[in-house]
Amino acid sequence: MPANLTDDLVMRYTDLHPGSPAGAVPVLLLHGFGTNFEMNWKSAGWVQELGNEGLRVLGPDLRGHGGSDKPTDDDAYLPERFSRDFVGLLDELDVDRVDVVGYSMGSRLGWDLALRAPERVRCLVLGGFGPADAFAGTDLNALGEGTTPFDEVFRTVSTLPGNDPAALAACARGQAARPFRPEPVPEGVPFLLAAGSEDALAAGAEELARDRGGSHLEIPGRDHVSAVSSRIFRQAVVDFLVRG
Amino acid sequence: MTELIEHTADTTTGPVVELSMQQALNRALHTLLAENSDTLVFGEDVGTLGGVFRVTDGLQKTFGTDRVFDTPLAESAIMGMSVGLAMNGWRPVPELQFDGFAYPALDQIVNQVARMNYRTRGAVPMPVTLRLPSFGGIQAPEHHGESLEALFAHTPGLKVAVPSDPGEAYRLLLQSVRCEDPVVFMEPKARYWDKRPVELAEPTEPVGTGRVVRRGSHGTLIAWGAMVHRCLQVAELAAEDGVELEVLDLRWLTPLDTDVLAASVRRTKRAVVVHEAPLTAGLGAEVATRVTENCFGDLAAPVQRVTGFDVPYPAGPLEPQYLPTIDRVLLAVQRTLEY
Amino acid sequence: MAEETITFTLPDLGEGLVEATLLDWEVDVGDHIARNAPLVEMETTKSAVVIPSPHDGRVVELHAVPDEVVRVGAPLVTFAVAAADGPRAGIVGTVPEEESRPRRRVRLTPPTE
Repeated sequence: MPANLTDDLVMRYTDLHPGSPAGAVPVLLLHGFGTNFEMNWKSAGWVQELGNEGLRVLGPDLRGHGGSDKPTDDDAYLPERFSRDFVGLLDELDVDRVDVVGYSMGSRLGWDLALRAPERVRCLVLGGFGPADAFAGTDLNALGEGTTPFDEVFRTVSTLPGNDPAALAACARGQAARPFRPEPVPEGVPFLLAAGSEDALAAGAEELARDRGGSHLEIPGRDHVSAVSSRIFRQAVVDFLVRG
Repeated sequence: MTELIEHTADTTTGPVVELSMQQALNRALHTLLAENSDTLVFGEDVGTLGGVFRVTDGLQKTFGTDRVFDTPLAESAIMGMSVGLAMNGWRPVPELQFDGFAYPALDQIVNQVARMNYRTRGAVPMPVTLRLPSFGGIQAPEHHGESLEALFAHTPGLKVAVPSDPGEAYRLLLQSVRCEDPVVFMEPKARYWDKRPVELAEPTEPVGTGRVVRRGSHGTLIAWGAMVHRCLQVAELAAEDGVELEVLDLRWLTPLDTDVLAASVRRTKRAVVVHEAPLTAGLGAEVATRVTENCFGDLAAPVQRVTGFDVPYPAGPLEPQYLPTIDRVLLAVQRTLEY
Repeated sequence: MAEETITFTLPDLGEGLVEATLLDWEVDVGDHIARNAPLVEMETTKSAVVIPSPHDGRVVELHAVPDEVVRVGAPLVTFAVAAADGPRAGIVGTVPEEESRPRRRVRLTPPTE
């Protein structure tokens, strides 16, 4: 479904199992940089996993990604702009609170949403995410030309069908303009950090969880890409969301 | 694969086995590949898979990948290759997987296959048999059910054969492949699974002859392919009302057997032609004209046509409303009775 | 009930990808799996995917192990499934049902002559 929420941008989103039991908290899935809802979550088995638990799934294509509009100015991709999109989506659907499950950049945005609108977030899963600066050493005006891990990521995703390299570059700069800070912590929102043991982009996740009162899951043998579909990851998230 | 249920009886010249039309066609292809090393079977999925309707099942294993092989999904190329092979002395038996996929190959079929013999004053015959799973009745999606017989019958140079049961399928395919002319061999998909005792004997009647399937005196139902079975159902029901209907299976649409038509209708005085294709400019018009030209004075009523409607062939669930129903055929018969 | 075996090969994963790395099976030999239940995790150069089971049946054989690179079209898993009764249609369409007694509404009047 497309929705026209903020900034005259059209955001495409998926709303699955809207008939789930009253009182159940829907799950808002926030995909990573350069992917989309379908690729990050649906193909990786998440929709089915959550659907089996009777959970309603809200899956936006983030601005600049998938079927949503793709502006090319850096400011359009400041984290607060994304958070406004998500709050707008929840308002549109008349949903009070959600459990947020993010991956990579989606985790960073989930954290921002929980800081800005803690009353809308019951709990938070940060997948494939750590406190380190994802853009360290990367020339933000020559993305994909260097050799940093983020340059690698950029090269891979900028060739995916449907992606606009100019919009993705703007997105990277917008994100880099607001470096992640582990303080303050979203108030009253329990969180789980989960990442593959081989995921360099999630370095420091365990320490972040320990220092800030979150839970931590290490997914053995998986890296930033392969951790997404892990059964251990999926089941741990279901346990965290459903069984607390 | 099949169970032998009965051996040669006095009146037959070959073993009788219970076969579906798919299996009967498979037996015929086996016979043809075995008897002539020039015969080649090819098409989309006919080799490794054995055909989407299992008609070529096991043939590649028996005869090897040089003689039974898969082609790219390119119908025009399949027919173009058939032309080249035939020019070089081979006897191609290509399959186009579904009738709707014949459209992209029409250029090769009409401009090359049908004309080569004529164009070369008989120097280059085209012994190509195009196997084409045809007609409706299996509620397939669009492009997977079409009735193209009028198109091919209207193309000089082509012969058109349509079997109505497993035994006919076996014999007609033997005749078609052995024939020096190109034959469009239209297999009625709806009857593929129909199982009957089949006599595995050589065909005895010449190319281009129709057959009487059921004798009757009050009217003649004329059909081909799956509509023969529909007409037999109607004749059975009509007999309950005291109306005896004759049923003709034309089986060759070109050349069309005017003799069998005329002989039958002269006796019964009424004719109803039944086909799946749309009414307008369908082959029913040709049949009705031949009947009228030959038996005008004998007819008790105008020839009736019961056909599909003048709409694109409908997909899936609408098909039963499109194809001639028992009641539509009965109504046409009644119109001839009360004329 | 009669069983037959069906081997499932690695499907085309799109985007011109010709192979994928097996990450992990979600089933073991002998397990019963429902159609569309998670079957196997695969990783391509672009993403990780969970392939759902195309059949309802028992897992008879797994043709690849974790970390193995599997080519598109190569065997992944063999299922034992309940064999269908009677003839089955091909890839497209359905086998027409034969009515034992065809239904009719129209009655005929025999000719008087």
